[in-house]
Amino acid sequence: MTRGFGLCLIMLAVGLATAGPSWAQIPSGTPSDLFRDDVHAQAGLTCDSCHGKATGGEYRSIARTEIAPLCSRCHSDAAYMRRFRPQLRVDQYAQYLTSTHGKRMSSGETRVATCSDCHGGHGIRPVQDARSPVAPPRVATTCARCHSDAARMSAFGHQDNPPADWGKSVHAKALLERGDTSAPTCSTCHGSHGAVPPGVTSVALICSQCHVREAELFRKSPKKALFESLGQAECLTCHSNHEIEAPADSWIGLKDPALCSTCHDDSVKGAADIVAVQEGLQRLSVGIDRAQRVLDRAEQAGMLVDEGRLVLRDAHERQILARVTVHAFAAKPFTETATPGVAEAARAEAIGTGALQELQFRRKGLAVATVLIVGFLVTLWVKIRRLPPIEP
Amino acid sequence: MMRLQAWLEERMPIARFVEAVRHKTVPQHRFSLWYFFGGMTLFFFFVQVVTGALLLLYYRPSASEAYESVAFVMTRVPFGWLVRSIHAWSANLMIAAAFAHLFSVVFLHAYRRPREVTWLSGVLVFFITFAFGFSGYLLPWNELAFFATRVGTDMAGAVPGIGEAVVHFMRGGKDVSGATLTRFFGVHVAILPALITALLAAHLLLIQHHGMSVPPSIEAAQRKHGRPLPAMPFIPHFALRDLFGWTVALALLAGLSAYFPWELGKKADIFAAAPAGIRPEWYFLWMFQALKYMPATVFGMSGELLVLVPVSVGALALTLLPFLDPDTPRSRRIVKTLAGLALALMTTMTVLALLEGSS
Amino acid sequence: MSSDHSSGAGRKPPTPRRRDVLDWLLGTWGAGVVGAVFYPVLRFLAPPEIPESPTLTVSAGKASALLPNSGRLVPFGAEPAIVVRLAGGELRAFSGVCTHLSCTVQYRQDLHHIWCACHNGHYDLNGRNISGPPPRPLQPYDVNVQGDEIVISRKA
Repeated sequence: MTRGFGLCLIMLAVGLATAGPSWAQIPSGTPSDLFRDDVHAQAGLTCDSCHGKATGGEYRSIARTEIAPLCSRCHSDAAYMRRFRPQLRVDQYAQYLTSTHGKRMSSGETRVATCSDCHGGHGIRPVQDARSPVAPPRVATTCARCHSDAARMSAFGHQDNPPADWGKSVHAKALLERGDTSAPTCSTCHGSHGAVPPGVTSVALICSQCHVREAELFRKSPKKALFESLGQAECLTCHSNHEIEAPADSWIGLKDPALCSTCHDDSVKGAADIVAVQEGLQRLSVGIDRAQRVLDRAEQAGMLVDEGRLVLRDAHERQILARVTVHAFAAKPFTETATPGVAEAARAEAIGTGALQELQFRRKGLAVATVLIVGFLVTLWVKIRRLPPIEP
Repeated sequence: MMRLQAWLEERMPIARFVEAVRHKTVPQHRFSLWYFFGGMTLFFFFVQVVTGALLLLYYRPSASEAYESVAFVMTRVPFGWLVRSIHAWSANLMIAAAFAHLFSVVFLHAYRRPREVTWLSGVLVFFITFAFGFSGYLLPWNELAFFATRVGTDMAGAVPGIGEAVVHFMRGGKDVSGATLTRFFGVHVAILPALITALLAAHLLLIQHHGMSVPPSIEAAQRKHGRPLPAMPFIPHFALRDLFGWTVALALLAGLSAYFPWELGKKADIFAAAPAGIRPEWYFLWMFQALKYMPATVFGMSGELLVLVPVSVGALALTLLPFLDPDTPRSRRIVKTLAGLALALMTTMTVLALLEGSS
Repeated sequence: MSSDHSSGAGRKPPTPRRRDVLDWLLGTWGAGVVGAVFYPVLRFLAPPEIPESPTLTVSAGKASALLPNSGRLVPFGAEPAIVVRLAGGELRAFSGVCTHLSCTVQYRQDLHHIWCACHNGHYDLNGRNISGPPPRPLQPYDVNVQGDEIVISRKA
């Protein structure tokens, strides 16, 4: 009895000594309160299931290095998991061991993430639950708890703040403002359990999951071989990795602040293509703008502009596709898409102008009617003057 | 021609009316020009009836189709833009002509005995004209009209006690909605036309019966000099001049429609916030502007009442004018002064509202 | 200078010939004005080319020209709609606006379903989003065939 008690005390001490700072866990509320909402509680598990039997009214806390192996006792057991959620994967622990977090934790470095840091310790919810710290809109906030902490990250030699950078990106805007869950967050590109920074050469493969056409064109373009030989990251060179902002037409050009001008000037091969693309984008943008304004004016004046709007829609889509063909880094595929777009914008503008001209035509019709009316009025006036005078 | 006339006369008692019209005369004096405004208002009303009936062939009175049907008329129906613009402009010109007609009758005291009933029917027609304008304005179901209607019906809520019930009745519910649209449509194309037809018929018949009123000052001068006033035969002299004025008005309507076409704007979104600068049509602007100057509460009552009560009292006084004016030179002077003040106040408020809106 | 013809009051009335010309002119101009009024009214009364507002119903072209396993984009108001004839011959119609970022979708004969080129979104033949970023299905429209004309319509 006393030996068992002593053992518990020692284990308690060991547990306390190797436990990381309490803020590494997700703090708020007592464990038993939190556990009430836990998906494991709903499955019928209890405190004993993870902590073992309580001794002296106290459960032993689990050392940080023990957490992942403890979770995987069930979560890597396919037959066991099948009883609760047959579709749930059972390779998370295996993935974790390949990750940077997993490798360091295995070697005893406890200042890296383990299961409970991201999923929570006691109030664990399924990933699909919007309140889970690993639900897609909340992933970046969870990662930021460590990866935006300069003091913590500098110990590992990291100076930058990827979650904050990501927060400024179009992907963050899409996910957090528009609710577009197809937009990538940290785990989409880095993996969740097997989280590792993607290698320079594999970045393009990840981006091309969604940006299929851009990737296809890039792979066929002269840039691919060139970037590989230079050891340049493909998409990242122009678009960055975390702080991906909306690309602008002004990126294309031979002078500052165009991106191309980083390497290209008039003398380098490809200058003609760059200029062709730049001018094409400009013509498209200006053409669409002008058409939009004319159509708006015509609509305000009460004219029918549905057909014009449809044509402008087509022009707008060509603009989108033309911007995609920029990734071929050649003038021909670009102009093949852009030129019809310019023509369509011009057609939309013509429809709008025609509608406004119809207004002018109406005024001419009015002139005809006015001539008839004035003729009638003059004759009537004469008739009135020639009526017999009124007897007073 | 004569045979046709005889055939008709045997079956319908038209000879009496034809004779009456043939002998109708219009007295000529320095205020005679004002005699034309009644007919001008009537002309605009005819234009409204015709263009309104034409629009009815294509308009759909439901919140989901009204806007689209008006857009359809304006863009796909040949000359639909013309019919719709004329209908909108003629409404405004009719109200302007009605104001001119009303004020001229007041200033020239044509409401005196024995024309009290003519006056009553005319005042009611006047109020109905405003109701036409208010109900018709909502029918395109565009943003401006939706919010203007909401503001306008809100004002009725200021009446103590029954105010809320009145608003509920007008709107067909708590808020302005598709129910309001249907209700306003029924009022605009059926109820008000029936009422105004009856009242207009009475008004016109009584005018034929009593003849044209001569202002008291002219009558007094006549008595002094003894000479009778020159009498212009209605047919053909006055009628041709009427026709002249009406043709000018027609040309004006066509010109306005071509150079200042009535816009449609955006479709009403009942969940959207009101855009800045919402205001009613110009003939309601004076009340709208006056309300803006009132504090929110006065002695525990709504500040809006400070405007609504005088306006209501004024409207009542206007209706009962023939009975309130004992027709002495002094009382007539008071009437003219009060009318002048009212006109000045309304004009000032309207101008202020327009200036504020354009700044 | 015969005093018999002088009259005390006013001018002589116009001679009958002048009065006829004047009345004739008045009548002609008047007819012109009446015509200028009636012409727009009559044109207005005649049903227009497209008899109804094309916001609820629209013609989608010839049925015989739409072969099995093919699709066609048609304008529906200010937005595109897509009409598809399945391999088995059935006609289906949906909104042509991709629910992701509003690009126009197209029918892919090789995939036998609807596809959006912008971000590789896929929709099945019931309009349901089955792959890629689109978050919602395409709105379905009713399809009817009148003679050889396909007519698609949506609820108000």
